[in-house]
Amino acid sequence: MSRPAAAVLELLALLAFSSCASLPPAAAPARESRVVIFHFNDVHGKIDGFPKVAALIDAERRQGSDVLVLCAGDNFTGNPVIDQYDPPGRPMLELLNRLGVDLMTLGNHEFDVGMENLKQFAAQARFPLVSANIHPQPGSEIPNLSASRLLTTKSGVRIAAFGLIQIEPGNGLPSTHPDRVKGLRFSEPLATALEMKPLRRGADVFLALTHIGYEEDVKLAAAMPELDAIIGGHSHTRVDPAETVNGVLLAQAGSDLRWLGRVELLVRGGRVVAKKGGLIDVKGLTAEDPEVKAMVARFNDNPVFARVIATAPFAIEGKDALGALMTDAMRAAHGLDVAFQNEGGIRLRRLEPAITLKDVYTLDPFGNQVVEIAMNAEEIRALLRDSFAKGKELDLQVSGLSYTIRTDSELRILGIDLRGPDGRPLAEDRDYKVGVSSYVASSYRFAHRDPGRSLNATTAEALIRYLQGGADLSVYRDIQRAFQDPPGRNDRY
Amino acid sequence: MTIQVNNRTVEVFSGAQVADALRAYSQVTWKQVQNGGKVVLDGAGHEVALDGALAEGSRLQVKRAARRGGRA
Repeated sequence: MSRPAAAVLELLALLAFSSCASLPPAAAPARESRVVIFHFNDVHGKIDGFPKVAALIDAERRQGSDVLVLCAGDNFTGNPVIDQYDPPGRPMLELLNRLGVDLMTLGNHEFDVGMENLKQFAAQARFPLVSANIHPQPGSEIPNLSASRLLTTKSGVRIAAFGLIQIEPGNGLPSTHPDRVKGLRFSEPLATALEMKPLRRGADVFLALTHIGYEEDVKLAAAMPELDAIIGGHSHTRVDPAETVNGVLLAQAGSDLRWLGRVELLVRGGRVVAKKGGLIDVKGLTAEDPEVKAMVARFNDNPVFARVIATAPFAIEGKDALGALMTDAMRAAHGLDVAFQNEGGIRLRRLEPAITLKDVYTLDPFGNQVVEIAMNAEEIRALLRDSFAKGKELDLQVSGLSYTIRTDSELRILGIDLRGPDGRPLAEDRDYKVGVSSYVASSYRFAHRDPGRSLNATTAEALIRYLQGGADLSVYRDIQRAFQDPPGRNDRY
Repeated sequence: MTIQVNNRTVEVFSGAQVADALRAYSQVTWKQVQNGGKVVLDGAGHEVALDGALAEGSRLQVKRAARRGGRA
């Protein structure tokens, strides 16, 4: 760097930190470097903000700053346009490469695209991936992934960074379907982080790039004062301004690229002497990168959506038939005994014979997860009782059984009869693996011993798999599994 | 999984998100947050998104959203 350029950089650094309480003495600017870290997390395929983010980062680079771009995981899952791309998630890869990301940690939803797609993503990424608590078994290695990295900025600042991914307390796996992380072992994040302490030596800046959630980041900061900053994700927390815990700067930028995080570090004599951070409202930015804007437009115009994924012999009409289709799909995708779908979540009256991906997401647009709950017959009745009480009419479509709600003339429930697929009364003395949407699991009031667990897959994904798997669609005509005795309103479409 | 919403304990399934805890807490509150009239804060007072992940023992507070364009 030329001396005039260095002088400008120093001046900018001092101006930038002029409001910082820990401002270093202004008389000693020599060998100071200002490192600007842009960070985002949990984008979940929401790509519309990338043109503005790219323009802002490039502008900062043009000023000659030491700029780093860090991604704290969960690029996928949340936008069907991206999730259903061919190959899945490809737009995120191209955008992150174009943005010039320097380092990324894997989030739990990175695995949602499947291990082979993730390996392709990692191999084609023009940036390294870090996660210290992911331990691939032989044959399951993820290209470009290591526990930590040492980055050197253009002005020579050495930055050591390691990554972490959350795991669930119950199964010790990240929150994704267990089948998607076969061949990988995961160690406890905070214990693993402590093993990274030696990285502090030999680095001017020591960072953790995490996907463990804000509350765990606070614990990490409490346990590792050696860190200069933690750039986090997973809990979708808007930490603005960045806060200091145990001397460690803690930052997280919400989700969906609504905010871009910006951390500034002033480095002098091999250590960080001042630091601060905050969030930039992406919507409020005006400048856009035209090249990135064109990329985003191209990705949003995803032709996959118009592709026919299944052909029925007739239009599938009415909530009984559509509900049967959706719940059969849920059962088939996850090996469940019984599945329920609330009628409010069936958003089409009619599915034309040529079924497209767009149709599926119009029919089931909410992104609800499938939740599995172990329930006995009486608990199933409790669910049906609550569903009927909401509007004094049938509300839950079902697969794996049929039911009749018997009422008096005031629509008070007299009893609920449950029948298995063979038409015989459902066995009362056993538990069934019941699948419901996350909306039903959390909105309906029914006593059940098992709190249940998310299967980390959406109801729409189950339907797509069912349709693409060649399901027999000829059965979804004149089909009814939910009954009311005496019959209720006759307006069930 | 046990979550505290406005200092009340709600039981949700494992892997639940912020939206699930709100629905388990109160349908009225859930709709107010959906409509933008209220926002959700974590135990430290930071705003969290409806699809944010929860952990056992997470604490949430629902507060009235700040009016835009109002006087400071």
